[in-house]
Amino acid sequence: MKNRKKRRPGSAAALISAVMLFFFLAFLLLAIKEMSLQCFMMALVVPGIIFVGSAGIPKLFPADRLLLSLTNFLCALGVLVLYRLSPERGLAQAVNYGVGVVCMILCTLLVRYLSDWKLPAALMLLGSVLLLALPLLMRAEERNGARNWVYIGSYSFQPSEIVKLALLLCIAYLLSNRKVIVSIAFAGVCLLCLMLQKDLGTALLYYAVTLVMLYAATGSHLLIGAGLAGGAGAAVMGYQMFAHVKKRVAIWLNPWADVEGDGYQLVQGLIAMVNGGAWGVGLGLGNASVIPYYYNDFIFAVVVHEFGWIFGLIVLAMYAFIVIRGVMIARRARTAFHALLAVGCAALIALQTFVIIGGNIKLIPLTGVTLPFISYGGTSLVSSLCIIGLLQGVASRNEADVSEDRELAMQGGDLK
Amino acid sequence: MKKLRRNIRALTFFLCGLFVLLAAYGAYSLSTSGGRWFASSANTYARARRQGVIAGDILDKNGVVLATTRDGERVYAGDEAVRRAVAHAVGMPSGNVSNGVETFMASYLYGFNMSFLERLSCAVKGEPRQGDAVQLTLDSAISRYAASRFPAGKAGAVVVMNYKTGEVLALQSFPNFDPMNITAQVRNDPQTPFLNRATQSLKAPGSTFKIVTAAAALENFPDAETRAYQCTGQLQVGDRVITDAGTDLAAGQITRHGQLTLRRAFQVSCNNTFAQIALNLTDPTLRRTAENMGFNDNFLFRDLVVENSSYPTQNRTDREIAWTGAGQSALTATPMHMCLIASAVANDGVMMEPALLQRATAQNGKTRYVFSPRVYRRAMKAETAATLKEYMRSVVTSGTGTQAAVAGANVCGKTGSAEIDTQENTNAWFVGFLDEADAPYALAIVVEDAGGGGSVAAPIARDIFNWLLENDR
Repeated sequence: MKNRKKRRPGSAAALISAVMLFFFLAFLLLAIKEMSLQCFMMALVVPGIIFVGSAGIPKLFPADRLLLSLTNFLCALGVLVLYRLSPERGLAQAVNYGVGVVCMILCTLLVRYLSDWKLPAALMLLGSVLLLALPLLMRAEERNGARNWVYIGSYSFQPSEIVKLALLLCIAYLLSNRKVIVSIAFAGVCLLCLMLQKDLGTALLYYAVTLVMLYAATGSHLLIGAGLAGGAGAAVMGYQMFAHVKKRVAIWLNPWADVEGDGYQLVQGLIAMVNGGAWGVGLGLGNASVIPYYYNDFIFAVVVHEFGWIFGLIVLAMYAFIVIRGVMIARRARTAFHALLAVGCAALIALQTFVIIGGNIKLIPLTGVTLPFISYGGTSLVSSLCIIGLLQGVASRNEADVSEDRELAMQGGDLK
Repeated sequence: MKKLRRNIRALTFFLCGLFVLLAAYGAYSLSTSGGRWFASSANTYARARRQGVIAGDILDKNGVVLATTRDGERVYAGDEAVRRAVAHAVGMPSGNVSNGVETFMASYLYGFNMSFLERLSCAVKGEPRQGDAVQLTLDSAISRYAASRFPAGKAGAVVVMNYKTGEVLALQSFPNFDPMNITAQVRNDPQTPFLNRATQSLKAPGSTFKIVTAAAALENFPDAETRAYQCTGQLQVGDRVITDAGTDLAAGQITRHGQLTLRRAFQVSCNNTFAQIALNLTDPTLRRTAENMGFNDNFLFRDLVVENSSYPTQNRTDREIAWTGAGQSALTATPMHMCLIASAVANDGVMMEPALLQRATAQNGKTRYVFSPRVYRRAMKAETAATLKEYMRSVVTSGTGTQAAVAGANVCGKTGSAEIDTQENTNAWFVGFLDEADAPYALAIVVEDAGGGGSVAAPIARDIFNWLLENDR
């Protein structure tokens, strides 16, 4: 039996206090600079949400404190840089953050207490296909070459962000019941819908996550090889079929060919990062808003611009820690379903971060996916927090299992 | 479950690998290209931050002031001839000339490299911040002289550098302009005076490329020096005929060289022979030699932005390959790159990185940067370089480049008359160097649309070499 040392609660409290203090001071700085009462309120509200999100949750049920602290830091960072460049977006993001924390708790509870996933999985399967088809049926207008939003009155959302969660749950459920073909078919239908919406960045994510989960479940090199070949074929086809894909690739190969036109966004992103230098130009002193879509596609460039590349590396390391933590939770899980779910969540966060930051630094062509936790966008932030909620659910189940084992061992019972 | 856990462990490495890749690529591109991004004319942030900073001076290697700030205005060298001669290398803050010192070295000139303490001390004392003074490797005297020898009204470029250290002494483009007097005429000139032809204009190198073809032959044929070639004046390749300069098929006039060796073919610049060599070498072999000399490479020099030269990789028919051997086809290079190739021959096959920045000095006298020579790449074997040096010497003593000869000095070179579109219009090229220990200078000259390299470019080279031997020895 593993005799895990209990983490000292003092260190976690210190970490959370430090994070809260950081954001309190950052907002205070902006408040003094702008002489804005609203910003001063933010200096109190944002650390408040951080407190609830990272110190309050572990009081309700066992949770992974490090994972919570990191997630909350990144979310608050998003609110901070957004507020700094555009207070309306920052405010909206703070609301999204609060809603996201509540959804995260709900997701955790769901995974913690729901044991039979048969009916929910079937419902989600149907629901997600319907949701993904919605933008196509509603004849929504195209935004940035993609048609992936649904508008209901003045309210709009991206179904693909919600379906992300369903995809993780359904595929984990199907694979844990050895229904490989069904899960591939389901992922295929989702991919097809996304391709029709021309939302290729999200399609890439769905595809890669499915592949990662397939590998975890089967370990079959043949299957992965076939998947990779199919993906390559689809990529070539997409390149031939969509003019905007060709344009993105051309910009990626040489953004400097048209600095004022097509390459403008990427070039300004690169320049913003290099202007930041090692320590950044300073919070509130940058001009990163010259980058088109700085608030979602290029939020990482904004962070590096104002805080410097050393801080950028730290942010990257935080994502890496979240992912590593997620994988550790997966390895401790007791059932195949929970293990697959956790590994899928970790992989989704890793891949999404890679795809968008890779696009920012010109490692790969830019696709319009958001940076988890930081980018502006309600659906995206809530769904990212829900993914952490799912992970937390698995983690708290693991904790419950471990303590059950311990009790059993105390009573002299034997472990298999 | 055991297998599942094992698979998950394998995935951990993959997922962490993604982050390592991001960090590594980010660090790599920031360190190699960051300076270029920063210096880009699209950098509005840096442009805004220049306000309130007094830009540093720009000096030549002897301390002659090329640019300074007086009462908040940027003023350039007092002598108009010098201003014009260094106009492209120095550039202008407005970015008219892409990647001149004024924009490319803005991080020094505008004090972006100042430490926090230095900034603080300026703020406390209430002094305006002053950027670093930048001393270049350029020699304004040789630049001025070279400009005076260039044919009036012609477009082209002159590059002079020290082949042992890589220091660039002259980097000129014609027509040039006076930065103190930019008129509408200059702006609208169809000859585009703001284009820096020395580093930005990609052209067919013509026969000067035969240095590369000859190097490939020397490094790949054991009997390269003794093998005999037959030049009939007309080499049938596919459905086309390769001819030599002076041939006019319609008038029945054909230049023939008869039987010759590689050395003789190099001297008289026989297209026919070099086409045969290219076909015998096969395309991949010739391409490898060219790539060793920097073709198809991404030039990332510290001080200079040079357009990348290209050795074509697509549509390689026999005719294309044959013409490549003689320096035509889709092959392109800048005068700067051809100067580097001549430098490599002169420097025993080692190509030095071209340098423009000698020293950067802060306002408080602190030295922020000092030049030290850096090797860019080994372009060829030392023996190959020695043989080529001898060949290039013979071009000047008894070949196409006799007009470049300077009495009492070992001038080596290669001429080129690169076709532009028709036989009548050719760009006159000369690349060469002084094989003198105390005057290690190489140069490249292009005069666009002016005729033969031997008759137009070689005399300019002679005058510049002569000047260097008299003044810079």
